[in-house]
Amino acid sequence: METFFGNIGRTAGEILAGLSRLTALAGQVTATFFRGFFEHKLVRTRHVIHQIVLMGVDSLGIICLVGASVGMVLALQAAYQLRQFGAQLYTGSLVSVSVTRELGPMVAAIVLSGRVGARLAAEIGTMKVQEEIDALSTMGLNPVQYLVVPRCLAFLIVLPLLTVITDVMGMTGGFLISSLGLHINPYLYLDKTFSALVLKDIYTGLIKSGLFAILISLVSCHEGLAVEGGADGVGKATTSAVVTSIVLILVVDCLATAVLYYVLPA
Amino acid sequence: MNKTKLDNGKSIITVKGLVKRFGDRAVLDGVDLEIPDGQITVIMGGSGCGKSTLLRHLVGLYQPDEGEICIDGDNIVGLETKKMNGVKRKFGMLFQGAALFNSMTVGENVALPLREHTDLSEEIIQIIVKVKLELVGLTGFEDFMPHQISGGMKKRVALARAIALDPKIVFYDEPGAGLDPITASMIDQLILDLSRKLKITSVVVSHEMKSAFRIADKMIVLHKGRVLETGSAEQIKNTANPYIQQFVHGEPEGAIPFRQTSEAYLKGLLET
Repeated sequence: METFFGNIGRTAGEILAGLSRLTALAGQVTATFFRGFFEHKLVRTRHVIHQIVLMGVDSLGIICLVGASVGMVLALQAAYQLRQFGAQLYTGSLVSVSVTRELGPMVAAIVLSGRVGARLAAEIGTMKVQEEIDALSTMGLNPVQYLVVPRCLAFLIVLPLLTVITDVMGMTGGFLISSLGLHINPYLYLDKTFSALVLKDIYTGLIKSGLFAILISLVSCHEGLAVEGGADGVGKATTSAVVTSIVLILVVDCLATAVLYYVLPA
Repeated sequence: MNKTKLDNGKSIITVKGLVKRFGDRAVLDGVDLEIPDGQITVIMGGSGCGKSTLLRHLVGLYQPDEGEICIDGDNIVGLETKKMNGVKRKFGMLFQGAALFNSMTVGENVALPLREHTDLSEEIIQIIVKVKLELVGLTGFEDFMPHQISGGMKKRVALARAIALDPKIVFYDEPGAGLDPITASMIDQLILDLSRKLKITSVVVSHEMKSAFRIADKMIVLHKGRVLETGSAEQIKNTANPYIQQFVHGEPEGAIPFRQTSEAYLKGLLET
């Protein structure tokens, strides 16, 4: 019994300590970001663009594939249910609203937490193990400023953009399946797709994806910087970066949806 | 000759009463030492004696629990980041594993401190990179990636990077570790050349006796987190201290016995 409660207490303590370290890192990143507007050479545009290419351009393929397949499956399942009410025409509305509001931001964030988050944690963790982080700091370069800020900034730009692509691909997938496979009139489908969409659906989705981007990049960089030991430590950090990111994405998604649609209805 | 140099030279680094504890264990337990300007000082000691920890304090990677560290007149303990960055410009460091940035070419690695800390034009940076690589004997290797060159070459690139901003002091963490004897002695020769030609103060942490005696102007022996003895290479070689004698000659039996009595073993365990 004692060990049981002891373990609960210890786990809670570790979670709180992790959160406070994460908040500290977030504070440093924000401070550096705003100081970057006034101080020369603080945040290098070249580094941010390099990261945007590595994170964004290279993820296009997987994002298109996942987006399209989510749209297709959603259309198939929705049409199957809606047919019972003779409302198969509304498949387009259902796909467009659920993809832009929820599935697009969420799926893009989860796919990229695996693709980009893992890469960030492994890269920074390996640099830590090989004393490269120490080398940076003996050269008078702050690792948070030099490594973390450009990566967070790049991901904050990349994830919303990829979310838009996921949304478009999802709707395209739904359209193709509905018009070719389910024989729904393509003109009516498109009309239902766009009439159901309002601007709020799109921008709330993008706000969420911005939040996810900040979470994933901060968690992954934090895990990388906290690596102790050798290859084993890097492996653990990578796993932990992805798992923690996904859990936080789910929690924040729930909270953000509640706030955006229930606390602040348009 | 070494002795007169030691007596007359002024100190560029002074450490007073340095204490560092990890948990209950004091890894550094009141270290006092002085590093003379423009000379090569070797800090020696067995594994776990605290020499790497000491080096990490000197370059500002660790903050001590007690004591002070003065580098060229500035006490770096608790120094604010901006001033500390100013002090960091005065030294370079060669890490044990070279610590080159793997995503950058050799040339970019050497250019990094120049690009980040100076406003020199790209042409001038390229010239400085060429000169520094020539100093370490690696002309023409600018476009290689770190994984394409050997361990000894990596160390030399790291040395070129450490001296890119013409520092007053260079710290070396086990410069010969993991290298064959010939390459290791080449690195030793480089340390000597840099010190003699460019008047760079060198602080070398090492446990390789041959190389230590070849390059040292001054030697500091650490044992259990304290300075055990200080002196010129000759003085250390001829010291009466049984631990240092055992260490210098690399013998299994001596002041630290190979096989311990069970009481001594228990006592040793309880002490640490």
